[in-house]
Amino acid sequence: MRIPAALVLAAGLAACSQPVPPAPTPAQALALAPADPRLAALYGESCKACHAIPGTGAPLVHDRKAWDPRWKQGEAVLLDHAVQGFQAMPAGGQCAACTPNDFNALIRFMAGREDPAR
Amino acid sequence: MTISRRGALLAGAGLGVAAVGGGYAVATHDKPEPPAPPTTDAKGHLLWRNWSGVQHAYPAARLAPKTEAEVAQGLKTAVAPIRPVGAGHSFTALAPTDGTLVSLDGLSGIIAWEGDEAIVAAGTRLGALGPALAAKGRAMANLPDINKQALAGALATGTHGTGATLKALHGDVAALRLVTPKGEIIDCGEHRDGDVFQAAKVSLGALGVITQVRLKTTANRRLERNVWLEPFEDALAQAEARWAKHRNFEFYAVPFTGLAACISHDETDAPAIPRGPDQDTVFLDALKGLRNLLGFSAPLRKAAARALLGGTKPEKAIDEGWKLLSTERPVRFNEMEFHLPAGVQLKALAEIVAIIEKERPDVFFPIECRRIAPDDAWLSPFQGEPRGSIAVHAHYKDEFAFLYTLIEPIFRRYGGRPHWGKLHSVSGDQLAGLYPRWNDFLKVRAQLDPDGRMLNPYLKGLFGV
Repeated sequence: MRIPAALVLAAGLAACSQPVPPAPTPAQALALAPADPRLAALYGESCKACHAIPGTGAPLVHDRKAWDPRWKQGEAVLLDHAVQGFQAMPAGGQCAACTPNDFNALIRFMAGREDPAR
Repeated sequence: MTISRRGALLAGAGLGVAAVGGGYAVATHDKPEPPAPPTTDAKGHLLWRNWSGVQHAYPAARLAPKTEAEVAQGLKTAVAPIRPVGAGHSFTALAPTDGTLVSLDGLSGIIAWEGDEAIVAAGTRLGALGPALAAKGRAMANLPDINKQALAGALATGTHGTGATLKALHGDVAALRLVTPKGEIIDCGEHRDGDVFQAAKVSLGALGVITQVRLKTTANRRLERNVWLEPFEDALAQAEARWAKHRNFEFYAVPFTGLAACISHDETDAPAIPRGPDQDTVFLDALKGLRNLLGFSAPLRKAAARALLGGTKPEKAIDEGWKLLSTERPVRFNEMEFHLPAGVQLKALAEIVAIIEKERPDVFFPIECRRIAPDDAWLSPFQGEPRGSIAVHAHYKDEFAFLYTLIEPIFRRYGGRPHWGKLHSVSGDQLAGLYPRWNDFLKVRAQLDPDGRMLNPYLKGLFGV
């Protein structure tokens, strides 16, 4: 079956114009946590201390406006920055128990990219 | 004052020595990131690095126990050297190992209460402990100026706040549970197994893994926080009176400005005035800009600093202590801190500021000056007498060898004891001369870990083992 070009274009435009969700309020940011209990524990022990508090210099959890420019660098770059430390970000996010897969999952969560379609 | 306004002021300060645009570019110039070690080594082991980035390792194994039984089982079979780690906030090489790194993150939270004493899992981060204690109307009597550390790491390194009547954090430990490298579990405290207790309260993670701590607490009082700038000479002249007057008092000598930033906290019942946004980063940016722009001339830099910062308004906040005593430190740095006999602290500070202003125009970080009450832990830097601490910082992108060559000799000449988690080169017999119970500690260490499985090369050198 052939899909009309106009439909493809419309679908593409719809995807491109999907609105970026607003940044969470400070209270919402504090309440956010990964659904997976293990990740939630790692997040609560380490990432949350900076990424859930406005004004620390760290991009706020689920703040797409802050995260999107970083996300564009690619997950491999973000993983290296997380493990090695970068600017104000301390190495490993001060999480000695985190594996590379944990870091990737935590970055996706904080960047609001847990849903690969978004 | 906003960052952009400070940026404009800094550009203005550069008038006469550079065009406005050029002056601004110089003032805000940032050095590149220091080279980072690879994310994994040739064997595929993941990088571990401390907060400042100055220490790193590729542990062959990582343990993240969630129970004491897992700690005990893990320690019995783990590949040595075994090193416990919390937040990785120490600047010294306490944590690096190519053997086993034991994360304490799985041991977190308040386990139980015994009256007003909290049984706290040792991996609990100080930042999380504050609200958890406050939920029961209690608080730690004092806090360090950073609260990202794990409780065990803070205790292991003699971490402290400031206040002439307030002990370092370990001074409020009533008992603790230690898992030795053999997997034995030892409960010790003020009334039980006293030698192990006095050795373990400040023990650099060298005796095993501390899994829980019985912590004395105080009522969660509201504090009034005041921050102000004044001439450095005035701060020196009034420091002793202020330590005597305030619950908490500290000041920062700001090199190349002639100024000091003072911070006091006192108990109050007045209504809360929430703390405003972080100003430390703005202040540091201004100081770095002055360094970048006017580092070639100390008099010009000092004049510009006074013009730029002299009119800064005092800040006041009122809130629960755990919300005020620690601050965010988003700017990373390396640090050396020694604890000096209180009577020579201010003299040593004046000497350090003078030599930095004479020889190190690249330094811009304020120098922190605090006072701590005595305690009796064998390796406590505050053992036996009150001590005055002086901390010298270097931005994480800046060279910091001068801390060893220029600053440490002054600290040592005044009888300073090093902060265990901060940069220093003191070891072995030198430490035996500073700590009356040094050899007693070494005996306990040898009994609990005869094979030295908790010792990495740094600790072997430190202990002379």
